[in-house]
Amino acid sequence: MNTRLPLLLLPAAVFVLGIYAWPTLLLLRNAFNEVGPTGAMIPAWSLATLRDVFADGFTLELTRNSLLLSASATALALLLAYPLSLFLFRTNSRWRGPLAVVAILPMLVSGVVRVFGWLAILGDRGLVNSVLQSVGLISAPLKLVFNWTGVTIGLTESIMPYMTLALLAGFGRLDRTLEEAARSLGASPWRGFLRVTLPLSLPAIALAGGLGFVLSMSAYITPKLLGGGRVFVLATEIFEQATTNTNWPVSAVLAIYTLVLLLALLALAQLASRALAR
Amino acid sequence: MLTRRIALRTGLAALAAPAIARAQKVGGEITLMAYSGIFQDNYTKAVIEPFIAANPGVKVNFTSAGTSAQMVGTIRAQKADPQVDVAIMDVTTSTIGNIEGLFDKLSESEFPVLNELSPEARAAGGAFGPAVTFDHLVLAQDSALKPQLTKLADLWRPDLKGLLAISAPPNIQGLALTAMVEKMEGGDYRKSIDAAIRRLRELAPSVNTFEPNPDGYALILNGVVKVATAWNARTQLVADQSAGRVVPLLPPEGSVFQINTINLVAGAKNRAAGAAFLAYALSQPAQKAFTERMFYAPTNARAQIAPAAMARTATAPDIRARMIPVDWNDILKMRDQWNNRWRREVIAAAR
Repeated sequence: MNTRLPLLLLPAAVFVLGIYAWPTLLLLRNAFNEVGPTGAMIPAWSLATLRDVFADGFTLELTRNSLLLSASATALALLLAYPLSLFLFRTNSRWRGPLAVVAILPMLVSGVVRVFGWLAILGDRGLVNSVLQSVGLISAPLKLVFNWTGVTIGLTESIMPYMTLALLAGFGRLDRTLEEAARSLGASPWRGFLRVTLPLSLPAIALAGGLGFVLSMSAYITPKLLGGGRVFVLATEIFEQATTNTNWPVSAVLAIYTLVLLLALLALAQLASRALAR
Repeated sequence: MLTRRIALRTGLAALAAPAIARAQKVGGEITLMAYSGIFQDNYTKAVIEPFIAANPGVKVNFTSAGTSAQMVGTIRAQKADPQVDVAIMDVTTSTIGNIEGLFDKLSESEFPVLNELSPEARAAGGAFGPAVTFDHLVLAQDSALKPQLTKLADLWRPDLKGLLAISAPPNIQGLALTAMVEKMEGGDYRKSIDAAIRRLRELAPSVNTFEPNPDGYALILNGVVKVATAWNARTQLVADQSAGRVVPLLPPEGSVFQINTINLVAGAKNRAAGAAFLAYALSQPAQKAFTERMFYAPTNARAQIAPAAMARTATAPDIRARMIPVDWNDILKMRDQWNNRWRREVIAAAR
């Protein structure tokens, strides 16, 4: 190996150290500060905030909510993104390029704009409820926003383009000749998919699932705007503690806790992806 | 006896006087941090532009970090190198800044205008920046709602199910509402909020959102809700702008003052101009202009406000009589506990 090759890492390493490592260290420092009765921050080297956060049952609820919400949004997004990605990967249509752009188009729109779009579609007087009421399927509007349902729908839509790209990148291992061999040996298309295509695409699924899960865990805008103050997750609580309660130490502890949780989940996804690739 | 030397000194002093006066005039740039949106628009017209006209050497940069808590957080982060000279924010957060040494104490010798302020305005900041505006919590309602709400207890009307936008704690509107409901139930928030929580839990199923975005007015104007918790000044302005579609209601059961203080940032880069701006913002002309433009109640007791505007502010005598005496420092100490009770008992009942 060329001994100068690691030098290529230098610009990115300097950049990451400057914009990520140093603020993270400051965040870590804040976790040891304390907060006075009126909210003023008291510089200290104390474990009191850490102890209080983990003794509070609400932290467990936040963790459970974040994991559950991320898992459901990831699973839904995977169900939608997998066939779409497979189609884009396999098709020889001249529309392949434009279709791929359409699939990732939501990434090009501001998250806030997309969420307000969902409010217009799913609200009590939104498109869905208006159509359902006009055809007589429902008499009163369905509650599709400002609750768990709305956040799940919004998150699913927001992570789908990323998962589509991850699946497309991971489908490189799919070998069409193996599927054709299965078909020539008498397997039905469905059986061929289940026994050949799906197993071969498992590493791509693990990669996309890991990415979608991590993005859902750290999502703030969607739970904040579509949750209506009813959906509490780690990301919204970190923001709330920092910007409404002015409680930086609690916010810092929760942020570090979330970071550790995400790193652990990413490591697990990586291990799963490698195991499935063997 | 007028000697030649004395005559010469007198002549030179007379020649230098205008230059000395000019030198004493403030100049340079200052950065004012306050609320964005309609507050910024109206404050610029009513206060900043007249200040600049009187002090042509000063440039005022308006900046906002979002909420009061975000503002104090920004100033806290810049403590070693302040980028803001003057900050206007809610008293609950400026108190934090005062304790942390982010703001300067103000003396009457440097700021004679402090003597013109009402006792409540002086008390709000203690030795630090005083109150610059007063406001109070109201219920903003759609004028199309029939019958109109006439009291706080009307929020529990069955026909309003799903049509309420209530800002829950830690938003201070939620904290103020808790104190108001406790009072409505005959209690005192300083002793307990059990009665308020019980009543709010009953209200929860009627709430469409506990976090109105972008704000309660937009939700009313778009027909999403019929009633929202809101601050009086903005509601008065929106009422005018929406041709009466949004109507403010001061509940007869009582309301709670919201106080904004004006603060001189410790170590401000242009302290002289910042101090001049602060003094102007508290002066009678600035207070009159802003109150008549945006219906925040004045804190300068000598400001002569037009009666029509005054009647729509928190200091109108009939409104003042309905205010519940609230010490925000007390509420701050109980904020986490109230917040937890809302989440576990009130919002949980709405899921």
